[in-house]
Amino acid sequence: MVLEKVVEILRNYKDEQDLEVTMASTFEELELDSLDTVELVMEIEEAFDTSIEMDGELQTIGDVVTLIEKAIA
Amino acid sequence: MIKTPLCDLLNIEFPILQGGMAWISDAQLAAAVSNAGGLGIISSMNADENWLRSEIQKAKSLTDKPFGVNVMLMNPHVDKIAQVLIDEKVPVVTTGAGNPGKFMKLWIEAGIKVIPVVPSTGLARFSERAGATAVIAEGGESGGHVGEMSTMPLIPQVCDVVSIPVIAAGGIGDGRGIAAALMLGAVGVQLGTRFLVAHETNIHENYKDKIIKAKDIDTTLSGRSLGHPVRSLKTTFSKDFIKAESDPTTPPEVLEEYGRGALRIAAQEGDSQKGCFMAGQIAGMIKEKQSVKEIILTLADETETVLKGGLQWVK
Ligand SMILES: Cc1cc2nc3c(=O)[nH]c(=O)nc-3n(C[C@H](O)[C@H](O)[C@H](O)COP(=O)(O)O)c2cc1C
Repeated sequence: MVLEKVVEILRNYKDEQDLEVTMASTFEELELDSLDTVELVMEIEEAFDTSIEMDGELQTIGDVVTLIEKAIA
Repeated sequence: MIKTPLCDLLNIEFPILQGGMAWISDAQLAAAVSNAGGLGIISSMNADENWLRSEIQKAKSLTDKPFGVNVMLMNPHVDKIAQVLIDEKVPVVTTGAGNPGKFMKLWIEAGIKVIPVVPSTGLARFSERAGATAVIAEGGESGGHVGEMSTMPLIPQVCDVVSIPVIAAGGIGDGRGIAAALMLGAVGVQLGTRFLVAHETNIHENYKDKIIKAKDIDTTLSGRSLGHPVRSLKTTFSKDFIKAESDPTTPPEVLEEYGRGALRIAAQEGDSQKGCFMAGQIAGMIKEKQSVKEIILTLADETETVLKGGLQWVK
């Protein structure tokens, strides 16, 4: 369910409702640069009312989903 | 007198910071700026902890005023550098090129004021949340590594999303620029290019002469294809670099290698064939080599005059 929500946030962020996103999608493939990543991760954190470590290791959507799942577990 | 909350926060007389500049802002420049009432900042670029410790100690021998250190987070020695800052009780740390999250807590617990340089509202919010004392919002008019946003739209938008003090950087060279930054909501400014021509700045005279000669249109961006664009003066080096960059067969490693050390060559050897003379768009307005003290006092005077004059438009 975390993934679904993240995908929804991503689609809204990019304003592309049929954007293909999987756990393996990288920020790079989604054409998101490091500034977009910061912005997005903050939106995602706010949506889940939690916070995760953003230490530059975030490459894929799966990385974010896993961290969020851990944070809200 | 120009006094803002930043003066009390950082214990300085004027709300003017001299930005950290790799290969350029050493103990001598930083101490001169702090002695003149601003906040001098030593650049620790890719240096190791021993170099930084001795530079900090040198600055302490030259001034009893607070000064800062700029930390480049990509520095391979960054862990040891982070500890030296704590051991030496450096009052202010500014950060660039990366996410200071990892060190934020350590520094803040040690009483260090942490001021990240940010190119966007997202990173400004992120920094505030991580405990930053203030942020330096830097527009792409500045010299060195730059972001996409310009200072004019960046500053008010950053001011709108954070409640910590905002310091404006990028394209500020005189009192008009400082007054404008304050009107946009900043409580202080950081200047780089203007300090390049200070007598106390330890760089090759060719570098200073090129800044004095530069016109408004004499800077350019290179390194876009590498993801980290750099603003510098148009020279043989920058033209060759941009040409190589626009050729799709040039491998990025070759470009990285080509660019590496080019700022050092400019600063120490003044060689325009091989050197990258980083400078901001405001270089065209800088016409005189001065002492740091003259620069700071002139800036403060001009700012006061401009701010007072602003009332003429209020009817
Ligand atoms: C030659 C040069 C080198 C710089 N090196 C660094 C650096 O190593 N780290 C950093 O955070 N900013 C660096 N900067 C940016 C400055 O700290 C400052 O924010 C910027 O110069 C402000 O814009 P201005 O040049 O329009 O005054 C550099 C700027 C210049 C001109």
